[in-house]
Amino acid sequence: MPVDPITVSVVQHRLHGIVEEMGEAMLRTSYSQILNSSRDFSTALADPRGRLVAQAEHVPIHVGALPFAVRAVQAVFEGRIRPGDVFLLNDPYRGGNHLPDLTAFVPVFADGRHLFWSINRAHQSDIGGATHGAYNPAATEIWQEGIRVPPLRLYDAGTLREDVLDLLALNVRHPRDFKGDLAAMIGSARLGARRLEALLGELGTETALEAVEAVLDGAERRVRAILAGWPDGVYRGEAVLDDDGHGRTDVTIRATVTKRGSDLEVDLSESDPECAGFVNSSYPNSYSACVVALAYLIDADIPKNDGAFRPLSMKVREGTVVHPREGRPVTLCTNHCGQEIIEAIVKALAPACPERAMAGWGRRFRVALKGTDPRNGRPFLWHLFQARPGGGASSAGDGWPAAGEWQAAGGIKFGSLEVHEVRFPLFFARHELRPGSGGDGEHRGGPGAILEMRIEVAEPAVANTAGDGVRHGACGILGGKDGAPHDYRLRSADGSERILRTKEVGIVVRPGDLLVARSGGGGGWGDPARRSAAARARDAAEGYVQEAPEGGR
Amino acid sequence: MIRIGIDVGGTFTDVVGVDASGRLYHAKAPSTPQDQSLGVLDGLSRLAEAMDLDRATLLARTERIVHGTTVATNALLERKGARVGLLTTEGHRDVLEMREGLKDDRYDLRQPPPEPLVPRRLRLGVRERIRADGRVEVPLDPASLEAAIARLREEKVESVAVCYLHAWRDARHERATRTALERLLPGIPVSLSSEVLPQIKEFERLSTTVVNAYVQPALARYLGRLEERLRAAGYAGPVLVMTSHGGVATIEEIVRLAAGAVLSGPAGGIAAARQVARVLAAPDLVPFDMGGTSTDIALVRGGRASVAADRRLAGQRIALSSLDIVSIGAGGGSIARVDEGGILQVGPESAGADPGPACYGRGGVQATVTDADLLLGYLDAERFAGGRMRLDRDAAERAVGRIARALHADLATAAAGIQRVIDTKMAEGVRLVSVRRGVDPRGFALLAFGGAAGLHVSAVARQLGMSRIVVPRLASVLSAYGMLASDLRVELARSHVAEAHALDSSELRALFAELEREGRARLSAAGFDGPVRVHRVADMRYGEQIFEVAVDLDPIPWETPDLLERIAAAFHRRHEELYTYALPDRAPVLVNVRVAVVGELADPPEEPARPAGAPVPPRGRRSIFLDGWCEAPVFDLEALAPGQTIDGPALVESATTTVLLRPGDRARVTAEGWLDIVLPTG
Repeated sequence: MPVDPITVSVVQHRLHGIVEEMGEAMLRTSYSQILNSSRDFSTALADPRGRLVAQAEHVPIHVGALPFAVRAVQAVFEGRIRPGDVFLLNDPYRGGNHLPDLTAFVPVFADGRHLFWSINRAHQSDIGGATHGAYNPAATEIWQEGIRVPPLRLYDAGTLREDVLDLLALNVRHPRDFKGDLAAMIGSARLGARRLEALLGELGTETALEAVEAVLDGAERRVRAILAGWPDGVYRGEAVLDDDGHGRTDVTIRATVTKRGSDLEVDLSESDPECAGFVNSSYPNSYSACVVALAYLIDADIPKNDGAFRPLSMKVREGTVVHPREGRPVTLCTNHCGQEIIEAIVKALAPACPERAMAGWGRRFRVALKGTDPRNGRPFLWHLFQARPGGGASSAGDGWPAAGEWQAAGGIKFGSLEVHEVRFPLFFARHELRPGSGGDGEHRGGPGAILEMRIEVAEPAVANTAGDGVRHGACGILGGKDGAPHDYRLRSADGSERILRTKEVGIVVRPGDLLVARSGGGGGWGDPARRSAAARARDAAEGYVQEAPEGGR
Repeated sequence: MIRIGIDVGGTFTDVVGVDASGRLYHAKAPSTPQDQSLGVLDGLSRLAEAMDLDRATLLARTERIVHGTTVATNALLERKGARVGLLTTEGHRDVLEMREGLKDDRYDLRQPPPEPLVPRRLRLGVRERIRADGRVEVPLDPASLEAAIARLREEKVESVAVCYLHAWRDARHERATRTALERLLPGIPVSLSSEVLPQIKEFERLSTTVVNAYVQPALARYLGRLEERLRAAGYAGPVLVMTSHGGVATIEEIVRLAAGAVLSGPAGGIAAARQVARVLAAPDLVPFDMGGTSTDIALVRGGRASVAADRRLAGQRIALSSLDIVSIGAGGGSIARVDEGGILQVGPESAGADPGPACYGRGGVQATVTDADLLLGYLDAERFAGGRMRLDRDAAERAVGRIARALHADLATAAAGIQRVIDTKMAEGVRLVSVRRGVDPRGFALLAFGGAAGLHVSAVARQLGMSRIVVPRLASVLSAYGMLASDLRVELARSHVAEAHALDSSELRALFAELEREGRARLSAAGFDGPVRVHRVADMRYGEQIFEVAVDLDPIPWETPDLLERIAAAFHRRHEELYTYALPDRAPVLVNVRVAVVGELADPPEEPARPAGAPVPPRGRRSIFLDGWCEAPVFDLEALAPGQTIDGPALVESATTTVLLRPGDRARVTAEGWLDIVLPTG
């Protein structure tokens, strides 16, 4: 007799409660700015076949990649997994997204059987390699990007393998922070395991397992019902990266999306060849980007589990930028070209589902700064999270102002400027919306932001950049215009100005230099001629479209 | 002398009077949303009648009135507050709209952005800048300030918020701005961030200050009118208002800090919970208030309610210390549906009061939790709401029948399923306020409030391993009564960012002492000269964490020589309690110091206990569904004799609620006529 439908519903709610509680614990306990501010982590439950059972709504780009990681761990340790074990992994050629995303796995047992994994994937503030902060635009092979961790046993039936932990900690720049974040990750995964074991005990293992199957099937039915409503056809979309940081420009992602019945096949094999620099996307990351595109086009409340993504398949060709050969650098891929994969797919499908498709969200352009704080003589490492780009417009309305990129979509908190000024030798002269940056359309793209920040060091500091989007803005769709691209500059006290490129290392920042970052706006949705007079009047009155004269300080 | 508590709810205004002997009187009047004071005066007339007095005599004999009002809350919820202008540091006018880059639902990219409380053209930069260490980088520029004020005058703003960067550290520019505003925009109220919330983190401070400016005029108008009406009716004593942190404040204080009234709605329930804790000597409670559209859940530990500083209402961040209440979208009116995947979902959509559940017969066709309760036999169609309303069973059957067909289940299974799903959601809600705050709820008693709670608490408690439930007889009366037992309370906070080991303990003591002095001064200004109690809290974190942990400093002897070490140790312990680990080799950072200065008001005399008597038999039996159909006795809550026990399965009904006892539950009737229920454990 099949499990009763009520139990299925209860199990779905309970699974969701578990991953949310894991995420909450992680958010509050993680040590690094990149985790607690940018929330760059995910919590999930999966079964030993790598099927995702539940995932908290944290980082979309992690979702589709986790199954590959589970299968990689299973492949190595199958038959040798015991209660109390904890495994780690980060290698993008073995189920990771990119090296900074370290994943912790805690097995969940019931009746002596290994039935599930409780998982936490979190972006480390440093993972070793040639540059601080994990992003190395100069890298031409993965070994320059950091330490590679294959499926690895960290706890053996409850006992920490201290030598293994020391090996890892020794290979990153801030071992204490690394250990603090790792403790938070493992704590979060263990919490999930405990709660899931309690649920299995309460319902009985067999009933719970059947209910999980039904939860997955339910999500699949919902997605298929939506896809079935779109016209069958072959749809094409393209998105273009500025460059690979090593001289190649306009790296193009080509998506051919075939929609038939309730199935969706995304063929990325016509995309450009792999690059010398770190914009290549690992296979799990490329698949995950396809998953994100689909997740954005269906209903937001559909659980992100294995069932929901069964209708999706991906085709890639080895040697392309979306499936590089092992050894290529990939660190930027969760942003770029991950975002361009999402964009190409959404653009392709816009004519099939115009009410669901959204215009492009901004691209990522990060700056990592390393120097010494003259107030206390201590070294500091700072990541730029301010100046979020604008969100894309949709059928529902204008885009969100300064809400971030495709793959984050309002999930990154830039934090208090006052706290930044206490903590770092930085002075925020200006941080406001950037009028005129959102793409025009029936619905306008959200504006990006303007940041003017003085770097108050006594000795020169060093900056690295990592990102894209100074040539190509966020795409408009269905007649809407593209958002303005990014424009970042470093202005010195003597008035000289240097335009920052998106993939640079070793930029010398002189004492008192001003970083002027004007982030891109979101893309517009629909023909600008259809924008209402009332909306245009409001844009003008509130100053969303008129670029103000270079005011402020 | 008499004390009066007044709780204005959405439908009714409850008025409770306690005389010198402890005898309790209650009256109810329809609420008057256009001007709540009319309903209040009406309620007072009815109370006088119940006490065999005329209203003037009642008010002349009254020594204190405590009032809970939703005026500020409604102004924010309905977006009917003042037209606010915001003055802020030049270059930073969009803090409110940028929301620190966050958006609520990460996967919903089709959600339109929220409309900021102050539109962009009314957010003006002023040339000035103070640095993080308090030094003035750019002096306040009078020309820039006057130009901005002129602009606000043209725009006819009704209230002004001022929030400059680092005003938590040095408020001189904000104060000078107020002086200019008083001169150039006389009569327009001004809210300074350095007074509303002198704490680091500009988004929280600015948003809270804007909310303050937004609701203040409406609240001031209302309370002014109420006071006038009360004076005219013959009342000469103080009018105290419930605040978001669960204490009471004078009208002058609450108007000054109007944002502190916004979250005061559920404070009456918490006041009632504290009253229950006192009466039953059960200091650990989870108040659980289940209404039509939502359930409010909180935590009372050791007789004290938890407070939090990160509440939101209607999308607005309010960072004042407030009772830590989690509101989840699950109530009696929550709508059940089967999604395209064939999975039963209940809520968060609600049928509300209008049309309400299908069984209300007001045109609702969707199945709700209440419809399921009726079909399971838990509700009596003829006696609902004390017999004032007849429930339509056929309508409920049609509505739930659609769910049953979609699930390929029979009617009772579908109805029981709706119950199980909503109970699961509510149990997750209890976990939010307990487990996720580092508290194990198993030692707590669940306190059932609200019409719908009685049918669900037993199942919710079981899911959480809780073994005790308390159901008060007249929850609304208890809220108003609980208000009478609330103390005057002033909450003060200051940021003082420093690594704990770099602090000087005498400096820290001086900082706390300064806040304490200010709190005492405010109490004296309110005419209070009774006993004062002080609570101290420090908000702390490790290095780069961004969330602070509130560390209770009361257990630490204040003059101890190793004060800083003790504070650090308390932080490590609390961190471990909350998050399962601590990093004792790291020096924590202290961010905010908080002081609550409490003016203790004498509790109202206790209600005389009702005598025990012979057990009262059930007034009937009904067929109810629990796994299968069974016969259960039905008792009348009002008629029960103190000391009587009732074993589940059974139903206990009153005019305002029905309580379901499941098999194994045993209820004892207390001297107050409440149900004290013990669940089987293990």
